[in-house]
Amino acid sequence: MKLRFWGVRGSFAMSGRDFLRYGGNTTSVELVTDAGERLLIDLGTGATELGKKLMGAEFGAGKGKLPILLSHTHLDHIQGLPFFTPFFIKGNEIRILGANPTAGASLEATLQNQLAPHYSPLNGLENLAAGVSIEVVTPGDTIAVPGFQIITAAVPHGSMWSTAYRIAADGQVVTYLSDVEYPSVDEPLEIALALARGADLLIHDAMYADQDYELNRGWGHSPARAGVVVAERAGAKKLALFHHSPDATDDMIDEVVARTAARTTVPVFAAAEGSYLDI
Amino acid sequence: MQITFWGVRGSYPVPGAATVRYGGQTSCVEVTSAAGETLIVDAGTGMRALGNKLMREATQAQHYHVLLSHVHWDHIQGLPFFSPAYVAGTRISMYALLTAADELQQVIGGITRHEFFPMSLEAVPAQFEFHQVEPGVDFDLGSFHVMPIALNHPFGSVGYRVDGDGSSWAYIADTAPFDRVLHKQHFLAGPEALSEDDRIALGAMRDALVQRLEGVDTVVYDTHFTEDEYRRFPHYGHSTPDQALEICAAARVRRLVLYHHAPSHGDEQMDRIAAEYLRKGAGVGIEVLTSFEGMSLPIGPEPELDRGAGR
Repeated sequence: MKLRFWGVRGSFAMSGRDFLRYGGNTTSVELVTDAGERLLIDLGTGATELGKKLMGAEFGAGKGKLPILLSHTHLDHIQGLPFFTPFFIKGNEIRILGANPTAGASLEATLQNQLAPHYSPLNGLENLAAGVSIEVVTPGDTIAVPGFQIITAAVPHGSMWSTAYRIAADGQVVTYLSDVEYPSVDEPLEIALALARGADLLIHDAMYADQDYELNRGWGHSPARAGVVVAERAGAKKLALFHHSPDATDDMIDEVVARTAARTTVPVFAAAEGSYLDI
Repeated sequence: MQITFWGVRGSYPVPGAATVRYGGQTSCVEVTSAAGETLIVDAGTGMRALGNKLMREATQAQHYHVLLSHVHWDHIQGLPFFSPAYVAGTRISMYALLTAADELQQVIGGITRHEFFPMSLEAVPAQFEFHQVEPGVDFDLGSFHVMPIALNHPFGSVGYRVDGDGSSWAYIADTAPFDRVLHKQHFLAGPEALSEDDRIALGAMRDALVQRLEGVDTVVYDTHFTEDEYRRFPHYGHSTPDQALEICAAARVRRLVLYHHAPSHGDEQMDRIAAEYLRKGAGVGIEVLTSFEGMSLPIGPEPELDRGAGR
C-alpha cells in the first residue's frame, strides 16, 4: 500500500513562504493498494490538487471509481469538495462515506447545505455530473471498499465526534486518528488504542505543540504528545504528526518533531504535503 | 483613504510555492480613512490575518463594519477565524445582500453550524449585527459613504463604491460581464439563451454600474479568468481583465486593480497578466495594477510634490 499526503494542515489553509515545506492545504490523504485500488480520506483543500492529477487518468474519461472516507464535516475536511474536479465528469462514480454529524443533521443534508445556493453556485449535490452516493457509516461498523478493509470508531472531537479509521490493505495497516481530543492526554481511550494496535503507520492529530495545549483545551485537538502515547501503548510502528496548526510555521513544526522524537523510540515524523510513503 | 489587500484569490485558498508572491488567501480588503476608521470588504480567508493584525493594534474592543459582496464560501470563510470576534465587547456589523434565504442572520450564522465549525456565531463573544443592503440604496458608515451596486453573479452579488476623504474607490466582485449570461436564481450547467428581457436587464445592470463608477479613482474588479478561460466557462460568474478595462474606460476611472485571481494562476502567470494589462491600460489612459496579498494603495490623486523643498 502506498500513501500520499495531499493536505496536512488543520482548521485553515495557510499560504506563504512559512508553510512551503510541510504545506498549507487542509486535510486529504490518498491510499493506493499494490493492485491500484484507491481510497481517499477527507476532502480538505488538499484534495483539489489530487483531483487535477486524477483527471489525467480514468477520471478524466468518466471511468473513475473512488471511495472517500470523511472523518467529520468541519469545513477544513470538506472545503475541497466543490473543487474536486472528478465530481464534474459524467460517468465517474464517487462514494462519500462518513457518519452523520449530529442527531439532527444527516451527512447528506450537511453536504447539501455546504452547496446551498447562497454558499455555492453548484446549488446542490444533484448538480455534480458524476454519480455521487452518500453512505452513512455507523462508527463501530466494519466497512469494505474494493481493496481495503476498514474498521471505524467514533472519537471525541470537542463538541462533536469524529470518525477514526483503521485501514488494512496488502497485509498492512494505516490508522487515521485526526481531529481527536482525549479526556486526558496520558490516558487515551481504549477505542483509539484498539484502532492503532500494531499499525504500520499511525496518523494522529498533533494540532498543538505540547506547551501550547493547555490554552487550547476543549477545541477537540491533541498536542503532539498524545500521538506518542497512543503509538507506544498500541505498538504502532511509526507515527505521523498530522493536522498541523495554522499558526505552526515550517520551523515550528521542525521543532515539534525534534522534541517529540527525543522522548520516544517510535519513529516520528511530521506529515508533509506531497510526500509519498510506502507502507 | 487607503485600501489593503488581505486576500486576492478567488474560489478557494491556494497554498504552495506557486502563490508565494501574489498570495493564496481569498477575498478580503481593508479600508482605512485618514482619521483611522476601518471598513472591511468581504470575509474570505484573508480575514484571518487581518484580524490578527487588528488585534495587535487595538487597545480596546472595537466595532467593525464588514461589507459582503455575497456569501459564497470564498467570501465568508474567514469570519470564524477573525480573532477580534473572540474578544468580549467587540461588535461586528455585517452588511449583505439577501438572496436565496429568508434571513441574513441565518445564512451568515449558517457557516458556523455545529456540523461545520466548533463554535456558533451566537456563542462567540462578539456581538453580531446583520444589515441587509439593496443596490441603489446608499448609506453612511462613519465618514465613509457606501453605495451598493448590483452585479451579475449566480444568485446575485453586490459591488460597493466607497467615498471618503474626498476621493472614491469601488469593489466590483464577483461579477460576470453583461452580455452573454444573465445570472438568476438557479443553477447554470452552461450558458442559457437570452430573452429580450434578459438583454434589457443586462444592459440596465451595466449602465447602472458604469454610472456609479463614473470618475471613481480606483476600481478593484473581479478578473478571475483569462480570455480563453472565460470562453470555456462563461456561466461561472466571473470576468476577464479586458472586460474590466472596458467598463473602467466607459466610466473614465483613473486606476483599475485586477483581483479575485483564479486558483490556477501561479505567480509567473500573474506576472505575465500584470505586465500585459499594465501596457493595455496605458493605451486607454488607465493605470492597471494587479493586486497581491499585502498590497496597500492610497486612494486619490498622488499628493503634489512640494518642488521647492530641499532646494
